[in-house]
Amino acid sequence: MKNVLEVKNLSYTYQGESVEAIHDLSFSIPEGSYVAIVGHNGSGKSTLAKIISGLMLAKNGTITVFGEELNKENLSSIRRRMGLVFQNPDNQFVGASVRDDIAFGLENREVPSGEMDSLINEFASKVSMERYLDSAPENLSGGQKQRVAIAGVLAMKPDLIIYDEATSMLDPIGKKEILDITFGLKKDNPTLSVISITHDIEEASRADYVLVLNKGKLILEGKPSEVFKEKDKLQSIHLDAPFLLSLISSLKEEGVDVPEDVDTLEKLEDFLCQ
Amino acid sequence: MASITLGRYVPYKSFLHKMDPRAKIFALIILMVAIFLPYETYAVSFLVGGIIFVLTIVLLWIAHMSFLNLLKSLSALWIMMVFLLLIYMIAPRTTDFYAFSIGSWKIYWDSFIEAGRIILRLVLMVMISMILTSTTKPLDLTDAFEWYLFPLKLIGFPSHIIAMIITLALRFIPTILDDVQRIMKAQTSRGVDFEKGSLIAKIKAIISLIIPLFVSAFVRSDELANAMECRGYDPNAKRTKYRKLHFRWWDLFETFIVLLVFGGCLYLSISGFNPFNLLGIATI
Ligand SMILES: Nc1ncnc2c1ncn2[C@@H]1O[C@H](COP(=O)(O)OP(=O)(O)OP(=O)(O)O)[C@@H](O)[C@H]1O
Ligand SMILES: [Mg+2]
Repeated sequence: MKNVLEVKNLSYTYQGESVEAIHDLSFSIPEGSYVAIVGHNGSGKSTLAKIISGLMLAKNGTITVFGEELNKENLSSIRRRMGLVFQNPDNQFVGASVRDDIAFGLENREVPSGEMDSLINEFASKVSMERYLDSAPENLSGGQKQRVAIAGVLAMKPDLIIYDEATSMLDPIGKKEILDITFGLKKDNPTLSVISITHDIEEASRADYVLVLNKGKLILEGKPSEVFKEKDKLQSIHLDAPFLLSLISSLKEEGVDVPEDVDTLEKLEDFLCQ
Repeated sequence: MASITLGRYVPYKSFLHKMDPRAKIFALIILMVAIFLPYETYAVSFLVGGIIFVLTIVLLWIAHMSFLNLLKSLSALWIMMVFLLLIYMIAPRTTDFYAFSIGSWKIYWDSFIEAGRIILRLVLMVMISMILTSTTKPLDLTDAFEWYLFPLKLIGFPSHIIAMIITLALRFIPTILDDVQRIMKAQTSRGVDFEKGSLIAKIKAIISLIIPLFVSAFVRSDELANAMECRGYDPNAKRTKYRKLHFRWWDLFETFIVLLVFGGCLYLSISGFNPFNLLGIATI
């Protein structure tokens, strides 16, 4: 399978800082996967996202996106194929209304004016914001603004979406909705890859792969069921395994043979009731 | 949210709302010039002012503007009115219409007439601008503004960048105002008093507001720049436009009417023709 992203020996130090924010990082992400990056505050997750998207250039290491090594020349063409959603919904709302905000990215892509309205309607309804098309950002809640940000990114039809704690300002229902929207999109488009930087362990447990960062280093990677097995390692950096996965591993320790495809509490309940 | 109601866009579907902002800006400028043209006599000045006044009242009514709001925003002019009146009482008179005297100080009617004329002009200016801003979305105004800067673009002036800056500034005004409130609350809970206290204490209070405000604004602008860059914004690249301005027949009609009014005013101003003379009314 092709990799959408390959990071090799990446290190990054902010100007004027003595410690590396990212230290000798190497990993790759297969096309069409949903990858969660978890780690504590200051572990270098946002730094990594900014380097991958070319907002900052790393001196050491290489980034290969869509099979091309990222450099200044191909940055804009690579960026056309990826979309970033940041944490603070206020600071990425560019337009004066929902409509204008979604249009902003389309204008940059030189989408003909006549085609914009249908795209705006399509993607606003994907994130259920079609009733707020003419609302100004100051009249929207944080979650609604974040949905608009996601719609704005989706309308540009990216092949790689990066969420940098895009749901951290949302309530549990808002979080779940965004997650469901994203999984829905992935179902429609199997080659869409998602990198989600998150503090939400439950979200990470739904991902295909999990990367655990600590102090700029990659300390664990693999399937959620494997990563969250490493309880001692996680505890040493003060991360908890998600409830469901710790439950399953405890059950396994007790000799209950839980099948691999159990990935929700409901399925576990069904299995246990059999 | 702070209450900036003066001249704020009021969503409504009147023909004024539907008009091309470029035509509206043109009308605004032309009417203002018409108001400020020099007229031979006071009577003609007031006649022109009066006609435009009635016109603007009708337009304000069509645009569903609240007259209460209008009066509120005009109330700031009261102080100016008194001030102007005082100045004209002291200033040398031009005619000889004795009104009354306070002690040995003779007051002439011209003070009132002259001050009245200026006030009328100011009120008209405020009203006409209010019609424009309350019936036009800030975004459309910006677009129209960019259009008017088009000739400058030919000589390399980055009018599209200026327009983007204005759009972003307008977009972030409510956000920054929210920040102000948030920081004020936070500082108040830390014991800063924004209302009472000596001058020094007040300055300190303001500084405790301004510094966090700047920090927050810089963080916001940094993140905004990142977000815009990620969404493919390049100030120098070609972009398509989602919103297009449409100049329709009614805009042409409106421009024609405004030009007609302006032509009439210009004629009155240049020829010094006094319509009151025809009616045999003596004027000053
Ligand atoms: N602009 C900057 N200048 C200097 N140092 C920075 C800058 N931004 C981040 N850092 C430092 O780099 C390290 C990694 O920061 P980063 O923002 O990538 O962490 P993070 O994992 O995203 O944390 P969080 O979960 O809080 O978002 C931190 O130690 C931080 O102090
Ligand atoms: Mg971060």
